[in-house]
Amino acid sequence: MPAEPDTIAALSTPAGTAALAVVRICGPNTAALSAALAGGAPPPRRALRRDYHDREGRLIDDVLMTYFPAPRSYSGEDTLEISCHGSPYIVQTLLEDLHARGCRPALPGEFTQRAFLNGRIDLSQAEAVMDLIQARGERALHAAHQQLRGALSERMEGLIDRLLSLLAQIEAYIDFPDEDLPEEDKASVINHLSDLLADTSHLAATSRFGEMLRDGVKTVIAGEPNAGKSSLLNRLLGRERALVSPEPGTTRDFLEERIIVGAHCLRLIDTAGLNPAPAPLEELGMMRTRERLAEADLILVVIDGRRPEELWTDEIRILSRDPRSIIVLNKSDLSEFVDWDGATSSPTLAVSALTGAGMEALFQAVVARVDAYSLEIGADAVAVSARHAFALAAARAELECARANLQHGAAAELTASHLRGALSAFGEITGKVDNERMLDQLFAAFCIGK
Amino acid sequence: MGSSTLLLTGNIDTIAQMSCNPAIGGQAKGQMVREIDALGGEMAINTDVTGIQFRLLNESKGPAVQSPRAQCDKKAYQYRLKHTLELQPNLEIFQATVTGLLISQGRVRGCQTNLDLDFRAATVVVTTGTFLRGLMHIGQNKNEGGRLGDFAARTLSASFVAAGIELRRLKTGTPPRILGRSIDFTRMEEQKGDHQPTFFAFHDTRRDGELFHVEHTFERRLGWAPGCEQVSCWTTHTTGETAQIVRDNLHLSAMYSGEIEGVGPRYCPSIEDKFVRFADKPRHLLFLEPEGRATNEYYVNGLSTSLPFDVQVRLVRSIPGLEKAHLLRPAYAVEYDFAPPTQLFASLESKKVEGLFFAGQINGTSGYEEAACQGLVAGVNATNKVRGVPPLIIGRQEAYTGVLIDDLVTKGTNEPYRMFTSRAEHRLLLNHGSAELRLLGHAAKHGLLGADRLQRITEKRDRIQHWVSRLESERCPGITWGDAIRRHERAAIEHPDFARESLPVRQEVAYRIVYKGYLEREQRQVEKLAQMEHVRLPVDLDYLSLRGLRRESAVKLAAIRPLTLGQASRISGVNPADISILMVHAAAGRAGESR
Repeated sequence: MPAEPDTIAALSTPAGTAALAVVRICGPNTAALSAALAGGAPPPRRALRRDYHDREGRLIDDVLMTYFPAPRSYSGEDTLEISCHGSPYIVQTLLEDLHARGCRPALPGEFTQRAFLNGRIDLSQAEAVMDLIQARGERALHAAHQQLRGALSERMEGLIDRLLSLLAQIEAYIDFPDEDLPEEDKASVINHLSDLLADTSHLAATSRFGEMLRDGVKTVIAGEPNAGKSSLLNRLLGRERALVSPEPGTTRDFLEERIIVGAHCLRLIDTAGLNPAPAPLEELGMMRTRERLAEADLILVVIDGRRPEELWTDEIRILSRDPRSIIVLNKSDLSEFVDWDGATSSPTLAVSALTGAGMEALFQAVVARVDAYSLEIGADAVAVSARHAFALAAARAELECARANLQHGAAAELTASHLRGALSAFGEITGKVDNERMLDQLFAAFCIGK
Repeated sequence: MGSSTLLLTGNIDTIAQMSCNPAIGGQAKGQMVREIDALGGEMAINTDVTGIQFRLLNESKGPAVQSPRAQCDKKAYQYRLKHTLELQPNLEIFQATVTGLLISQGRVRGCQTNLDLDFRAATVVVTTGTFLRGLMHIGQNKNEGGRLGDFAARTLSASFVAAGIELRRLKTGTPPRILGRSIDFTRMEEQKGDHQPTFFAFHDTRRDGELFHVEHTFERRLGWAPGCEQVSCWTTHTTGETAQIVRDNLHLSAMYSGEIEGVGPRYCPSIEDKFVRFADKPRHLLFLEPEGRATNEYYVNGLSTSLPFDVQVRLVRSIPGLEKAHLLRPAYAVEYDFAPPTQLFASLESKKVEGLFFAGQINGTSGYEEAACQGLVAGVNATNKVRGVPPLIIGRQEAYTGVLIDDLVTKGTNEPYRMFTSRAEHRLLLNHGSAELRLLGHAAKHGLLGADRLQRITEKRDRIQHWVSRLESERCPGITWGDAIRRHERAAIEHPDFARESLPVRQEVAYRIVYKGYLEREQRQVEKLAQMEHVRLPVDLDYLSLRGLRRESAVKLAAIRPLTLGQASRISGVNPADISILMVHAAAGRAGESR
């Protein structure tokens, strides 16, 4: 008898940030879930306006819910569509709540696959969607790699290696009882497992979803000293915030502010000026500026519009060609201002931070840039990070069971069963971890061979 | 199954000869032997009858990872199996060395032999062991052959290569054999058999009186009192001197002087490897295993080497108890050809040559049990092929045999493949006691067991189910027996009616009750995957032209040609989006067929 399919949930609209986002749920548990969310069995195919509260009763959003009972739904199974506001934060929180209520993240193309298997669409329709499935899969992969690059990836691999080593410790005594193995050290296994559990919990807490979505688009304002970076920040914020003074090099600490531009949250970071001949005190500030630049999503390169290109420093020249950059020629109100139309693909805008001239165009350029950026990874980043959160929670639960088993002296193969469960949850994030990798660790750690 | 079969062997006297240690079973392997019994194979009963020491490994752990193991009388094992084959209806045995295959139009037609006699057949199963271009190494000394004292199959490889089948080299090794009366056992520790042996065959569903012992080989059906007169194994260890001898002579070892190109197994390293890779481990454990009752020969388990013979002698004599040891046969390493098994379907039929099946070491495995499982499946499927019946394909959740074959044909192997329980993701479901229950459906469908035994297994299964549900519902009083057993408040045996059940039934019922939560958890995982296992993929599916499939995945799928969606999902590099696409195409294909 084939098993009942899972109830799946996923974001069904393409863009990360938009006016609206639609989260779709389908599968056998949908009817019960719909009733719970809507406060009573919802009528078929009628949009209901409801406040969405998570399991702890916190209000998440004001949403429209539409329930489509089987078979008259996209997938042919009971389906609930939730239209919420198109903020990645809201979508993320909503998906996490649905996971907590027993849904699992849908695989790429799973709705369409079910629609086809239930006879709702024909092969040619399915094939057309399939091209999208693959494109979406690739994009999700891309987003996953984006998230997985650097620190997170290293941490995941670190966790997996440590888990494999623990598993090898247990498996060795199961599979090689007749070998000359050292005395089994249960206490050390429990200690290592506790450390692993703590680190998994920590990772789950910090990578709950992508940093960009959580904290906004990291927008670094950079330029030579006295180019007017802090004035621009103040203008963007619409109020006096940064300490503005005519003395170059006033900003030594970083100022961070958040603003909403269009549908996006921007995290504005003002930095110390990039002085080609820094005073000793400035050195440290500039080093930190460069660190911020390295991790920026968007760079506003502020240039004193009175200085022609020949006078720019090399550093500014390089920044002006960075694909993340928007070039802001400031001080357009002054008579010495030279409009510049240099050979760079970065948008270039003339503004006056003092008078506010040109600011509207700058806002539009920023929105256009971040829109493109969200389109590229926004939606998939949500999907991917929802999957991460789901997987890490599962891994944590398994590790906790494994530890309890070890403490109670349960049979080793049961402990191993939980450790393997945790490994397969980690594998949901990084790709499946083959048993060969455990055996590699086992044969490296123990001399097996009668 | 009743098919007319010819067994060709280079030497009838070495049928079922144990080339390595005279032991059957052990971790995961013991479970496999019981599976063989459940599918009508001979290995289990042959081991029970010729065993001279029985032990249940991992007795302190749960039933899923407990495994029976036996030392056998090497000669008795071999003779009894040869005799069984001689008495087998529909089986002809003939001594000749196969020198080539007869292949035309992509189909095998039979084989050629060294006697210039050709044999025609609709299907052929190849089981070459270590004999395919076998080359033995003792230091710089080299001899052609698959086993010391035996020949090599020199020309058959060319036949495979000509048919487009890729071959590669593997290596394995075996330790020296020593004369028992030259051993000082007082310097060793004794390892006795279990007082109550655990047998491999399911004697409760086999006919009574089938168990007989080595002393009665030629008097069939004479009973034997189990557990009597077991022999002992002995343990000793290497010394600092042993390590020094190995280190001083490493350059003379065939494996360390670059003489050997084949890849050896990590789990069965030579003594050279042990001292090199685990340099800080001062000594290594060794087992002396008797080769039989009617011989004084001992096998030194743990001392496999390819050092020159004179070094071997000094090496052996540096070991406590072996100071005056007389070596009867030297240790050696053997290299041989294997055909990477991803070239096979899960039926073990070649993808290149129709009707040609491979089993055992030619598929890159090591071990008697691994070979026997494959031989059984390949044999059944060779018959099914002739009859046009769908092949026997055992699931990973059903048996270690299923795990083994799926791993081989889906992932291949880079070293001689040995089964470990950790390779089975549904290990808890594969306890040795349930083998005949797990495989009952396959045995019935393919006609592998007699009707009366099938009946008895069915009754046993029903009794087990009856008792599980009865103990889960009956109260004792207050809580159910099931809960009381799980809380260690009661033992199932305290139930007055249950105590009258047979031991195998009681053991299986107790397992299912005590481990209920975990077994249900694994069962749920299996059911989730079952959907994918049930979706069959056409063998001739043109992956490279499938719309939506990534090129990288398409190439891998086209090489493996998986039979089910489940198998496709286990190919490394095939991602969930690829599987979604395959599922749609598979369903579209089915709809097309039914129209």
